[in-house]
Amino acid sequence: MQLVDKNKVNLSPIKEMELRASRIPGVVSLAQGVPSFDTPDPIKRRAIEAIEQGKVAKYSLAPGILELREVIAQKLEEENKFFDFEEEIIVTAGSIEAITATLLALLAPGDEVLIPDPTYTSYQPAIKVAGGIPVFVPLEEENHWAFDIAELEKRITPKTKALLFCNPNNPTGTIFTRNYLHAVAQLAIKHDFYILSDEVYKDFIFDANEKFYSLAELRGIRDRLIYIFSFSKAYAMTGWRIAYLATHQKLAKKILAVHDALVTCAPVVSQYAALAALEMAEEELAKYHAIYKKRRDLICRRLDKLKNIFEYQKPDSAYFVFPRINKEVLKKIALDPPASNREAIRAGGGSWQFAIELLEKAKVATVPGAAFGPSGEDHIRMCFGRSEEDIDLAFDKMEMFFDNLKL
Amino acid sequence: MKSFLKKFIQYYLKVLTKFVLWRHKPFIIAIAGSTGKTTVKEYILKFLREKYGEDEVRGNPRSYNTEIGLPLAILYLESGESSFWKWWKILIQAKIKAIFSGKFPSKLVLELGVEKKGDMEYLLEMVKPNIAIITNIEASFTYPNSSLDIISDEMKTLVERISEKGTVLLNNDDARLRDLAEFSKAKVITYGLEEGSSAKAENLETDIEGQSFKFTFNDQQEDVKIKKYGRHFVYAWIIAKVVKSIL
Repeated sequence: MQLVDKNKVNLSPIKEMELRASRIPGVVSLAQGVPSFDTPDPIKRRAIEAIEQGKVAKYSLAPGILELREVIAQKLEEENKFFDFEEEIIVTAGSIEAITATLLALLAPGDEVLIPDPTYTSYQPAIKVAGGIPVFVPLEEENHWAFDIAELEKRITPKTKALLFCNPNNPTGTIFTRNYLHAVAQLAIKHDFYILSDEVYKDFIFDANEKFYSLAELRGIRDRLIYIFSFSKAYAMTGWRIAYLATHQKLAKKILAVHDALVTCAPVVSQYAALAALEMAEEELAKYHAIYKKRRDLICRRLDKLKNIFEYQKPDSAYFVFPRINKEVLKKIALDPPASNREAIRAGGGSWQFAIELLEKAKVATVPGAAFGPSGEDHIRMCFGRSEEDIDLAFDKMEMFFDNLKL
Repeated sequence: MKSFLKKFIQYYLKVLTKFVLWRHKPFIIAIAGSTGKTTVKEYILKFLREKYGEDEVRGNPRSYNTEIGLPLAILYLESGESSFWKWWKILIQAKIKAIFSGKFPSKLVLELGVEKKGDMEYLLEMVKPNIAIITNIEASFTYPNSSLDIISDEMKTLVERISEKGTVLLNNDDARLRDLAEFSKAKVITYGLEEGSSAKAENLETDIEGQSFKFTFNDQQEDVKIKKYGRHFVYAWIIAKVVKSIL
């Protein structure tokens, strides 16, 4: 029996960094993308009411309770996205379940799925779980991490089944603009592949040059587009595990069968909480938006003070920044790793060593850029979902660490 | 304390709502059912506003349709949610509006939200609809659901309360609703895609532009295109068209 599979699925590097961080006292974490807020009160109250009214103890319909799907469709309509709540919306146990169920429904073993490089770390394992092969498409850092359409087309083969991407992008915090998205859609039609558009950070757009555009607004590809949204980040509900997907009814039917096999239905208490989020938490959403913008400005100011260490593309959205580490700095820190960390270095590269040094010496947890794809090497991801105090403390610690190294 | 406060607000708003409706006597179109109420309301508002103008027709803001939501919708006030002070302000505003406000729309399009036995009776103590529309009776759960029979009884209450001069619109594609027709004193108009619907959609097709169908009512035919997906939009369009033709 083969015990080691080249396609084996490992624990996400983000969670690995969090685990390492949890074993070291006094660490400030800018690693995992978790909002610093508690779930808003109106959402919690509605969930408690649903529990008290005896609504949550039993399975809901596999695609979710009707009231929630109807409100989701109404909200989507406000954003120029049109879906039939009865046939085309499935409420899922987090967006990663939506993604995995979709890939399981669409892929045959050995099918290829294009993913931007860098992109969210959990996409690769999800593709592998579904028997697919992730194929990285490098983004152009100097072009604000945009798609290179020629590079994208070069990587399309007869085995290409889908493109999976996150817009706004994690880890870069940048947005894919309308023109690029239309070019991607044209390629999808030309080469007949599906598009999974994960838009978990769409509510946190700070100052992009143009209005945020979603491919779900484009009717011409509605038979090949799967739109995914999670309540986790927008409404501080990561622990509730609740999200949804919207797609053409033919695709929805296939995905629903997998979703039913995987989880039967999304947690019913969380479905009621999600309903409250859409109906009652607009104020909170606006409040979070303002706070994240302030934190984005703070982290950029602190990064600007470390120009000799980092250069970065200013994020226009989400709550991540993805600075490139100065080559000389990286060489100095990653040249002679201590024996205890050699294994980690072999698994990754300079960004791993850099992140581990930051964790162990500066007591600041970040995520090594290599975790997000080959183009992520020489970068680290910092999350500004954390409080301003945490951001300031983390940068104070880093500044001290770099000063001690005389960098 | 919270429960006492809720009951007080509920009672106070109910009295003021009854007073306002007695004073202005608007034509009331009530929409009930498990899903699709908001879509139907939006279509009716759109169609009637085309005919009567923006100020003459009002609907529930958001989906205010419960024992507290409905009076707020009629009095045109926001919810105080969990804030005592907001509610205090709202109760004062409600009294001023009820007694002094001269302007009131001639037609109200109201969603009636029903979850348990007795809800419909309570709402109908406040509003006396001229037209009642029932969209469907559907469950959100997979197990045999006795609560659907309770909801069906609540819908029956609504059908029974519409006077001979009124109209009841029932979804002919929903077996539970078809059976309610016999309890009505009012004129019943059935709508849907199934045979036997008085207002009927046929040849329903979906493409990237949306949905298209042939609509037949009172021997009149019309080819319809709507840029949205889902059967509930077809129903909403039909209902709005029928309501506009009645008024």
